[in-house]
Amino acid sequence: MVRSLLIIILWISTLNASSFEENCLTCHSNDFKFKMMMKKYTLRYSSENRIKESLFEYLKHPTKETSVLPLGYITRFGLKKKTSLDDETLRNMVDIYYEEFNIKSKIY
Amino acid sequence: MYKSEKHTIFYVLGLYLSSTLLLIVTLFTSYYFYKQEQLIHSEKESLKSYTLELEDRLSNIHNNFNDTFKYPRSQKYKSAIFDIDKNLIFSTLDTEIEISKEEFFFYNSNSYYTSPLKPYYLGAAYIVIEKKTQAVNILNEILIQAIIIIIITIITSFFLVKLVLKPIRDNLRLLDNFIRDTTHELNTPITTILANIETIDKNNCDEKSIKKLQRIKIASMSISNLYQDLVYLLLNHQVSSQNDKLNLSEIVTQRVEYFTQMAQVKKVDILLEANPNVSFYADKLKIERLIDNLLSNAIKYTNISTTINIKLTKESLSIRDEGKGMSEDEIDKIFKRYLRFDTTQGGFGIGYNIIKTIIDEYSIHINIKSKIDKGTEVILSW
Repeated sequence: MVRSLLIIILWISTLNASSFEENCLTCHSNDFKFKMMMKKYTLRYSSENRIKESLFEYLKHPTKETSVLPLGYITRFGLKKKTSLDDETLRNMVDIYYEEFNIKSKIY
Repeated sequence: MYKSEKHTIFYVLGLYLSSTLLLIVTLFTSYYFYKQEQLIHSEKESLKSYTLELEDRLSNIHNNFNDTFKYPRSQKYKSAIFDIDKNLIFSTLDTEIEISKEEFFFYNSNSYYTSPLKPYYLGAAYIVIEKKTQAVNILNEILIQAIIIIIITIITSFFLVKLVLKPIRDNLRLLDNFIRDTTHELNTPITTILANIETIDKNNCDEKSIKKLQRIKIASMSISNLYQDLVYLLLNHQVSSQNDKLNLSEIVTQRVEYFTQMAQVKKVDILLEANPNVSFYADKLKIERLIDNLLSNAIKYTNISTTINIKLTKESLSIRDEGKGMSEDEIDKIFKRYLRFDTTQGGFGIGYNIIKTIIDEYSIHINIKSKIDKGTEVILSW
């Protein structure tokens, strides 16, 4: 019973990971940029809840004002397109992103 | 040094010391709080400067390109960072601390300083710095200083009091010497008068002269009595007691006989009822002074043609007169020196003062029962 439960959890996590790859990493393949983004979000929003919430809001309704990127960068490359993911998937993706790249867990 | 002078010196010393102590305590308390305030200020400054340093280091760490972030550490200071929702990010503190409203506080012999931070390097919105508190160890120092000041104050106040009292002392000494000399000069004439009266052949005198001689003798005895009192008072603090086992019955009988003539002038009868075997361990001269004073007072204040009852038992001596009596208030004040309630009678008002010093020395209890217009009974018990 326990064994089958473990297998299911592992399967779900790989499913999640693979969906993160599919939904995010296909375009943002560069790990370095992801880290930089997390630094910028941490610098502006500080706590886990606020980072996740602001990221979610931005991906749903990207604006110049809510973007953490410098204005010059946005002028040059333009604003990110609105996400096509549903809220639940988007929240899952944001959670995975935070889990993977957050600064707090990397301080020693 | 006189007893009253000692009292004055002690009172002034007490007053001077208590006021100085009050001043010292106030000064040192203020000094202590000032030092504490100074310590808090320096602690705060040192913590603040480390906060700035830590902020700078956090900024550098945040901006590096490493995958992990090594939190800055210091030997003297410990620190913790919290996010905007006051959740702990990282800590090197010894104790768990929550972000409080206070910027600076002491806890468990540590001092803490909390400071907000923006932008949030590594997510830190608050920095808490911890440092071992420097103890305000000035109490010992203060105590030694206070003791030195108190000693100096005692010495100066002692000399000050002596200086202030000097003119009064000189005057008192002058008066004392005068009384002593006069007293000394009194002795010879009184003795001469009394001795000569005794030697006069009464058979060659007419009745009128005998009466006159009798009056002269009684007057001389009164002066002699006063002389004895004065000598006792003047020499009391200089002569130590020559205590011996005394036959009190014998002494009382003798003294009653001595005063009988004096009593006869006022037509006063003295009834003595004495247990023949009463002994007491004391100085004979002092006991004589005690009995003389009680008897002379009784004779002095009893009404004409009355009886003085004296009763001596193994444990008490009572002398009861039939005079004008005293009020409760007067009895309370009776032992004050030079205090006399009835100025119509002669005397210096030193009698009860002498009685008091003697009964105190031999732990004799005195009970004065008196009723106005009925008389007074003095009971000595031991």
